[in-house]
Amino acid sequence: MKCVIVGTHLRGVVKTHNLAFEECDPLQAVFAKHSCPNILRAHSRLLADIMVHFPTSQEEVTLSVTPARVCFRSYTEEDTAWFFQADFPRTMVTEIQLNPDEFDYFQVGVDSEVTFCLRELRGLLAFSEATSVPVSIHFDMPGKPVAFSVEDAVLEASFILATLSDIRSEAASQEPARCSRVQESSKTRVDKPEKPSIDEDSTAEATASKKPRWNGASGAPANPWAERELRGDPTAPHRDSAGTGGAATGEAGGRAVQGAESPYHKFHSLFFGAVSFKEKDAISRSFHSLATASDTEEDSGQTQSSQVLQ
Amino acid sequence: MRFRAKIVDLACLNHFSRVINTIAKLAKTCTLRLTVNKLYFILSDRVANGGVSMWCELCQGNFFDEFQMEGVAADNNEIYLELMPDNLSRALKTAQSAKAVKIKLTNKYSPCLKVAVELPSLSRSSRIVTHDIPVKVIPRRLWSDFKEPSVPDFEVSIYLPLLKTMKSIVERMKNLSNCIVIEANLSGEMNLKIETDVVSVTTHFKDLGNPPWASEDECQSSARGRDLQSMAEARIDIKKLQQLLAGQQVNPTKALCNIISKRIVHFILLHEDVSLQYFIPALA
Repeated sequence: MKCVIVGTHLRGVVKTHNLAFEECDPLQAVFAKHSCPNILRAHSRLLADIMVHFPTSQEEVTLSVTPARVCFRSYTEEDTAWFFQADFPRTMVTEIQLNPDEFDYFQVGVDSEVTFCLRELRGLLAFSEATSVPVSIHFDMPGKPVAFSVEDAVLEASFILATLSDIRSEAASQEPARCSRVQESSKTRVDKPEKPSIDEDSTAEATASKKPRWNGASGAPANPWAERELRGDPTAPHRDSAGTGGAATGEAGGRAVQGAESPYHKFHSLFFGAVSFKEKDAISRSFHSLATASDTEEDSGQTQSSQVLQ
Repeated sequence: MRFRAKIVDLACLNHFSRVINTIAKLAKTCTLRLTVNKLYFILSDRVANGGVSMWCELCQGNFFDEFQMEGVAADNNEIYLELMPDNLSRALKTAQSAKAVKIKLTNKYSPCLKVAVELPSLSRSSRIVTHDIPVKVIPRRLWSDFKEPSVPDFEVSIYLPLLKTMKSIVERMKNLSNCIVIEANLSGEMNLKIETDVVSVTTHFKDLGNPPWASEDECQSSARGRDLQSMAEARIDIKKLQQLLAGQQVNPTKALCNIISKRIVHFILLHEDVSLQYFIPALA
């Protein structure tokens, strides 16, 4: 498939750009932003000014809120292991405390601390600064995804990141929280989005058990939080021990459920346009494709296209 | 053991940041020695450092508005900490518009230097950025490793050319060779030489001047009665020299070096309130 951009410049120079693209199954996160108890909104400049204090190599940060303050802190896995290290026990930890006044909109329904990948976020912040729109942050308890979104007249973008589950409630596991292994199995799932089968469930479960700490949409197709929401059980404890998240996706309907796919340095999770709903629950909305192939007219209006963000 | 200090003046903060940036370029890990009146950044000449050693001395009164220190004991009223100066440099990097910077020694889970930067914000209360820099407390029995180096019995002492010039020359020479020869005499002449199989390059400086050292009987005996034209030379690792020159962010008030042939080159860079000594051993 090709997208052709033709520009005519001064003096009759014509530049033609042929951009090849591939159609693919759009992946959508099952995540309802508006049901998050905590919402912050600030200009992207504020967030950029905050992130500048963290070293560029900083992988993860923790956002912690109470009604009285907002705090961003660098996250390091060494916290528990430092006792055993002979040399320098810790890397530098940076923390930024802000007054809620600094935000354009500040709502904290539940005190919470969510840890997510900063590297992925930096990309969105750079994008937002260019468009100069405020960034909204929707989040809940640890383990549930956090959504960063920007919205203006011409586009809406939602960037959904997995957050670290509360470590205390987990089964002990020695696996480090790296998603590359899960990435592979989630890729195989993408190929068969329409027919969840028992085989796939067990794959997902086996996969999820390797990833004890990253819940939500951390590359594994399982999104246990989202799945529970859809079952109408919003108060269900989201703090999974390893392995129980796996079975969820099979029941979540035809779509493969994906959120932030890591490895962290890949910018995977930016969704333009829509957040999907489980097909059975979808209130009637018009679905239309944001892009159609000009040479295959019959493709327009297919269900595989992205949906419109409400 | 307690330590807390505060900087409120922006000019002092920038000056302190520049000193820290220089140190960070010279050493990955170094020792910070705190006394009632001074701070020292020390790198001792261990093999791990490539034989290089450093001694940097600051008067706390020139930088800090508040400075309180209680050492390990009344008769040893000092604190020795091992840290990575790059952490301190990073912590201060984004503090350029700060209302105040406080530094405190803490020991919540492990010893840390806590740098708290109070930044202006649009809301009524300031934004506070804290950096916990991990440090290791050096026990008293090891303090003798960090004694001030004595001025070596040098053969030639000479003022350095303008550091910016020297830096650009050394940087270009670095592309051609791993080691550089510094030679100088008591007539104010200095040469920087590199020599490889294919090329040799020499840069000549003259009329640099030789600093007058107060003559004492024990030291500088090698320099006394020395032929004024005779060059003392040492072949040193060019990277170490380049690091020293690249780290200088402000032109020092005085810059000189002392050479002992085939042994060591001792650089002394003096600013108004900071002195830096850097020793680079000669290569075999």
